[in-house]
Amino acid sequence: MRINIRFAGAGGQGVILASVLLAKGYGLGENYNISQTQSYGPEARGGACKAEVVISDETIDYMKVDTADVFVAMNQIGFNKYIDTVKKDAVILVNSTLVDEDTNGCYAIPATQIAEDMGKPFTVNMVMLGALTKLLPKIHFDTVEDEIRKVFAANVADSNIEAYRRGYDSIAEALADERKMA
Amino acid sequence: MERRSLRKKELVLQGNEACAKGAIYAGCRFFAGYPITPSTEIIEMMSAEMQKSGGAFIQMEDEIGSACAIIGARWGGKKAMTATSGPGYTLMQEAIGFAAVTETPIVIVNVQRGGPSTGQPTLSSQQDIYQARYGSHGDYEIIVLTPSSVQEMFDFTVRAFELAEQFRTPVIVLADEVVGHMREKIAVEGGSKIIESVKHQYVVSPQADFFQGKNTMVEGQLHDEQGRRIGHLAKRSGEFINDINRKISDNTDIIASIDTYFMEDADVAIVAYGSVARPSLNAVKLARGVKDGRIASKLRIVKDLFRKGVQETLHTDYSHLKVGLVKINTVWPFPEKLLKEAAKNADIIIVPEMNVGKYFREIERVFKDKAVISMPKCGGDIHTPKEILDKILEEAGINE
Repeated sequence: MRINIRFAGAGGQGVILASVLLAKGYGLGENYNISQTQSYGPEARGGACKAEVVISDETIDYMKVDTADVFVAMNQIGFNKYIDTVKKDAVILVNSTLVDEDTNGCYAIPATQIAEDMGKPFTVNMVMLGALTKLLPKIHFDTVEDEIRKVFAANVADSNIEAYRRGYDSIAEALADERKMA
Repeated sequence: MERRSLRKKELVLQGNEACAKGAIYAGCRFFAGYPITPSTEIIEMMSAEMQKSGGAFIQMEDEIGSACAIIGARWGGKKAMTATSGPGYTLMQEAIGFAAVTETPIVIVNVQRGGPSTGQPTLSSQQDIYQARYGSHGDYEIIVLTPSSVQEMFDFTVRAFELAEQFRTPVIVLADEVVGHMREKIAVEGGSKIIESVKHQYVVSPQADFFQGKNTMVEGQLHDEQGRRIGHLAKRSGEFINDINRKISDNTDIIASIDTYFMEDADVAIVAYGSVARPSLNAVKLARGVKDGRIASKLRIVKDLFRKGVQETLHTDYSHLKVGLVKINTVWPFPEKLLKEAAKNADIIIVPEMNVGKYFREIERVFKDKAVISMPKCGGDIHTPKEILDKILEEAGINE
């Protein structure tokens, strides 16, 4: 089993951190093999940013993602850049505050809006991570929460976990509605 | 490619962080460096860890100073390391020659970026493969290790300290951006590994550290066992050069390390080092028809995803295609004997590298009777398994 996950967005949105926390959740919490890589430009903020996570129950030979099973787009530029490299029927999650073109069939969450409503715009990546944790198999809310708590200083951990929880709950509701409709 | 042991602690680390942890585990207690992408995380971690482990960290004015400082620290009795990338590594060349001639055991990590010059700070390359061997002037042998996983960033850094002390020579850990910035789960041991600094018969220069009550003279000119200059004496200078070169070349069997995969019956061999060995192994498995397994699950969404998560199967069955991989762990000294033995039955050898095709020349030199094909890639991206598989098919004369 191998799942290729790609994150795309802008530098400063926390794209890489979200991918690292997901990788740690799967790697340490759920005992899978993981490989996390990233690419970014020389800019500190604003440039294009991509992060990739491979999850497998076998040894991972190739550490990068060529075609994605799961695609997470945090802004429109990132979405447009990589939407053609996802597999057919891939799970696609978009930050619908910033990604609103050609998103039919995608899971959408207004992550930037949710983070701003909390008064913590920097936690947009945690909202996305929460939503992703709900969508993905073989990973639990608590395992990722543990990793979030480890990486942040105590004074900011709570707001990040709150953002993570809101993302998780928001997608959980959407999935429940979807099931009702079906 | 991963070596695990249950008694060890599991961590998710970046390659650069694993390198720093490996250095501390190997007893490194002095680090001097100047931050440069993509090696900065090593310096960052060392700045904190050196304090905790009772060592010393200095952010130097530049990379020349960094390399010189670790040479001095080692003579002061501390195991020492620096880490850099492209331009910084170029600045260190003079000091590397000085460490080679004074027979100073130091470890230098070069997390390669694309060059020349400032080049591509955030992208990967293997362009320094010859600079690592021949970068400083004069005739010297050097040991260069090429890790291809986060676990190997830890293990090879420890090995680098062992080899440096054993042969009293600078040892280079030649990583690249992919392996330096990648995060993987690794197993690390706590505490410290004791690497003894014993006196060696095959070393010419003085070997006693400073402050040990002995007169130790460290001399960059060719010298005798007391550090006195012999550069003006042709015969003795010739012997000196022979001695410092042969202590490494004569011990290639001890130093050299390769891993082989599917090589028993391989007609086509991929020879790769560093991060490129990873897509190479994946390509070999694809060619051999080895597919990823599946995990069943209860939930619909999980099932869907895991069904989609199975790697695309190939339309053609290539299982008759006998392809293998030789992964080179020690690029220098060139592991000629091991490589010749591993690939002796192959007719075709393909050498993928993230440069214009350099190491391929060494391989071509020792396999005159085989078709040795270079597969260069420049620009900063690592080869994909598909690209390598296509090359295998092309060279094996198979059209899809």
